[in-house]
Amino acid sequence: MNCEDYRQAITADPAFDGGAVHANACSGCRAYRDDMRVFDARIAAALAIDVPPLRMPALPDMETDNVVAIGARRFRPMPYALAASVLLAAFAAVRLLMPAPTFDSLADEVLAHLDHEPAALRVTDVPVSERRLARAVPASLARYEPGAALVTYAKTCVINGKDVPHLVIQGEHGPVTILLMSGEKIAAPVPLDGERVHGLIVPVGDGSIAIIGDRGEALEPISAKVLNSVTWTT
Amino acid sequence: MNASAGDERRQRFDALVAVCYEDMSRYATWLCRDRAIADDVVQEALLRAWKSLDSLRDDAAAKPWLLTIVRRENARYFERRRLDTVDIDELGAAQAAELAHAPDEELLGLREAMLRLEDDYREPLVLQVLVGFSTREIAAHMGLSQGAVLTRLHRARQKLKEDMDSRDTGN
Repeated sequence: MNCEDYRQAITADPAFDGGAVHANACSGCRAYRDDMRVFDARIAAALAIDVPPLRMPALPDMETDNVVAIGARRFRPMPYALAASVLLAAFAAVRLLMPAPTFDSLADEVLAHLDHEPAALRVTDVPVSERRLARAVPASLARYEPGAALVTYAKTCVINGKDVPHLVIQGEHGPVTILLMSGEKIAAPVPLDGERVHGLIVPVGDGSIAIIGDRGEALEPISAKVLNSVTWTT
Repeated sequence: MNASAGDERRQRFDALVAVCYEDMSRYATWLCRDRAIADDVVQEALLRAWKSLDSLRDDAAAKPWLLTIVRRENARYFERRRLDTVDIDELGAAQAAELAHAPDEELLGLREAMLRLEDDYREPLVLQVLVGFSTREIAAHMGLSQGAVLTRLHRARQKLKEDMDSRDTGN
């Protein structure tokens, strides 16, 4: 490591503790590091503005099913379980009678789903295990052969009421989300346009695949690889 | 609604917010550079976080989760309002005066310089210095590569230094 490399690293992160050999040998860089740490302490003080007292907004009551403790659920009286079943059946019937969602609503739901799982969008080089990947993409739904792609997140999620494998691979500009929507048949590609992301829902046989990445990410080559690596088995 | 489960949910939420609120408020303020707007953004973020609390599986990840919500609410706010661009110098002076509660001269100058810094540079610096995020966490939060984050952090400090130096020399 030379002076330039060391100073660049220290300027980007004054807590950087690499390059100790160089710092020990170079008094100029040691002085630069110490100055930068003092400057950073001043930045920290400048950023630590007063905070107004917490005002909690009026929080609405949430649905019971999401919050009932497991113990309580076990002893729920039968009539409630029956009522829940009837409600579920009615809901399913209504869903069947409802017209198919418009492409825009599917696009909105896909983008909204990314908001709900920010933890999926980590920059990492740690792949998920094959077991986890197999659990997220069950053989009964699709066959996915990632090839050289680094899959760093794999989970089954619900999009438009259907189980959807949610995968994340690492692109050139960060994480790229892939949603394998075997039950969402669309006639033509649907563009996705978020605050900092862009993407496409591509029709694939009786289903579709959403591919979303950073605005700077070139998605065409990724899309081509993904489309070649997925086969519906439903 | 099951009362005890609802209470548990509320207690969990209150505990998470108690730990993260200061970072949420400061982050929002430095993002939008306006106290009143930041308050609105935090209120909206709290409401949204409450509604989607069940999607947070690990409470240890609450801070990045809440700050991501703040970031998106801030973007939504400006998208809704489509605010006009304002003069950076005027904004810096006015907001620094509002943000500064009897600071020393250097601190005031540094706050003004922070407010003049472009969003792309200010945000990662706030996340690193104020919130304590690692480069990797900032990259994940902002949807950038770690290399891009390091470049922005380097440039942010350089710009602040230059701004402060020019202030010292009166240029």
